[in-house]
Amino acid sequence: MRPMPRRHPERIYNQMDFRNKNIFFLAFVGLASWIVPGAGYFLLKEKSRAIIIFVVIVSTFITGLYIGSIGVVDPVGAKICYLGQIMTSPLVAGIGYISAGGEYPVYGRPSEVGQIYTAVAGLLNLLCIINSIYLAYAGRVAGEGD
Amino acid sequence: MLILAGIIISTFTAPENLPTNPQSMMWLLPLTAAVAIAYKAMKLPTITAGNFLKEVVLLFVSIAAFMAVTAAVLFAVAWVITE
Repeated sequence: MRPMPRRHPERIYNQMDFRNKNIFFLAFVGLASWIVPGAGYFLLKEKSRAIIIFVVIVSTFITGLYIGSIGVVDPVGAKICYLGQIMTSPLVAGIGYISAGGEYPVYGRPSEVGQIYTAVAGLLNLLCIINSIYLAYAGRVAGEGD
Repeated sequence: MLILAGIIISTFTAPENLPTNPQSMMWLLPLTAAVAIAYKAMKLPTITAGNFLKEVVLLFVSIAAFMAVTAAVLFAVAWVITE
């Protein structure tokens, strides 16, 4: 009987010695992905993936900040949005620290659009963190539906 | 250089003037593009320019079409209720 063709070819990292299930390495990949979006993929030698992710997430976050000012990162008045925003990078906490005093008030549509952009950038990075950890663990890209 | 840095930073300290009109809904399109690009960058097993672009455009159009259909359905429901 002929074997069924794979929907997505598996990417095996035979040449990489770090392809093991060391929990510290997985944590390191996750942490790197959080600190710099796409860095987890970079560690796994997926450079094109890393560059695309970095450019998209950082530009989405910066667009949100440009539209709504740094006032959209509000750890006091918009805690739920802040949870999403902080997923972009721990550096966002610095922006939150600056804007927490209420010196940069923003209301209405710029606030909405800015918060949505910055929070979506953070949530996309959360997805990337999880996906890069999976890639480090399983050695292949999780296909759609996995 | 310092002046340039100051100008760049100052653009992030005041919000842009976005009117509340139907055209402002167009701001969802760049966000949709960002989601489509990031998602496909994560999920494609191998990234080649042609294949990546095709998949991204397909996902972008799917998301935009689904949102348009949802908006139309909601508009129709609101119209039925209010008329």
